[in-house]
Amino acid sequence: MSSGHIVKSFDEELEGVRNTIVEMGGLAESQLEAAVRSLSERNTELALKTIEADKAVDELEHKVDNMAIRLLALRSPVADDLRLVISALKIASLLERVADYATNISKRVIALNLAPSIAPISSIPRMGEMVRRMIDDTLTAYSTGDADLALDVWTRDQEVDQLYNSMFRELLTFMMEDPRSITSCTHLIFMAKNIERIGDHMTNIAEIIIYQVSGEMPKDPRPKGDKTSMTMIEPKDS
Amino acid sequence: MNVQIQAEKSANAGMDVAEEFVIETRNVDVFYGDNHAIKGVSLNIPKHQVTALIGPSGCGKSTYLRCLNRMNDTIEGCRVEGEILLDGLDIYASGVDEVLLRARVGMVFQKPNPFPKSIYDNVAYGPRIHGLAANKDELDDIVLTSLERAGLLKEVQDRLHSMGTGLSGGQQQRLCIARALAVRPEIILMDEPCSALDPIATAKVEELIDELKENYTIIIVTHSMQQAARVSQKTAFFHLGDVVESGPTEKVFTSPEDERTQGYITGRFG
Repeated sequence: MSSGHIVKSFDEELEGVRNTIVEMGGLAESQLEAAVRSLSERNTELALKTIEADKAVDELEHKVDNMAIRLLALRSPVADDLRLVISALKIASLLERVADYATNISKRVIALNLAPSIAPISSIPRMGEMVRRMIDDTLTAYSTGDADLALDVWTRDQEVDQLYNSMFRELLTFMMEDPRSITSCTHLIFMAKNIERIGDHMTNIAEIIIYQVSGEMPKDPRPKGDKTSMTMIEPKDS
Repeated sequence: MNVQIQAEKSANAGMDVAEEFVIETRNVDVFYGDNHAIKGVSLNIPKHQVTALIGPSGCGKSTYLRCLNRMNDTIEGCRVEGEILLDGLDIYASGVDEVLLRARVGMVFQKPNPFPKSIYDNVAYGPRIHGLAANKDELDDIVLTSLERAGLLKEVQDRLHSMGTGLSGGQQQRLCIARALAVRPEIILMDEPCSALDPIATAKVEELIDELKENYTIIIVTHSMQQAARVSQKTAFFHLGDVVESGPTEKVFTSPEDERTQGYITGRFG
């Protein structure tokens, strides 16, 4: 039913939760973008700013928690209202993790910038942009209640995983060829992993959005493409 | 939405298989003169469960409830059409004894209405008129068991011969439930049984409803959505004389199928 609640302040409180989630998501998205940009630009200052910005996301998570607890205690929400409140709690916690990953990438950028650039970073900005678009679409799906768009994000994660797999292999090969690059490449692998995890979290959020909108979870098993945990590269001459 | 969705219908499907219906109603229409109060309601009441009937004022839920033990017969100009089967037999068929029917399908009302008699006599009243006890001992047994089942015995056992009207509101309501239980009903209809009670008395009645469902089928009309959610296993949402949606309470309160149900239970109606 599209009409509002008879008690208007209830609507305002639910709207407040929704807006805070979108605000959190927006911050997390720009933090990822800034973290990846600080890598391509070798910009330590931007990386430091990105780390600092994490606090704002943490505070918003607390805000969502408090608003949700208040709504549960005072409004006893049911049906779609209940699904919105429970979903907000879960999504806020996932977005907070997303911002943490962006912070971790920024810390590694600062470490990388201490040494001359020798490792290939080209795939990271590509992965970063792919996942940034996933965040953007997830937030659009959330704010418009678009389950189809959420499902699209949900299936898109596999592309990120594939890119991560190839990047993992590329960096391993690079390290074997030039052991001086091991420190940098290891940082890059962790960065790529962080971005890949953000993609996973968007898949989680997409599922939550589908549940929030329809009351039911997606039936198909979650698409998983990260095979790096089983990847081995043998030295050529062994 | 083009996603294959896992319909969490296991609870629902399980109920359909295992459910045994004690009351089946088919295309029930009720008219008060020209007013068409209930429009072709078909609803089944599962045995030994609590079914909650919810809906805005004037939606027909109380009218429907009163059809189930023919209380509507006492209202002039009221006409009931359709089939209402109790254990497979039509309760509106000719030759059905309404008094016996109302013993099988007991009723508890919104306002506690004990007789102006002693606690003992309130509960003994039904067994006496139905001849359920052969002697004083048997009658004592029925009275004490009924009070015990209604969760009231401990509070009144040393004053069984005081006036029932002297009890607190919550105790009076449980006395009325004991009175209904004394004639060994299969089904208990409750029309807003807690609306005149404070939260503690309400909690006691709700706890009692939960215990009673082991042995009785309960149908409760309530304006409190939270109460419906707390006490019932099945919920039916009435609107403008029709059942818009009925199903497992958990489903109705987490993801109702009909927008009108969602609008009502979330407080968007009107």
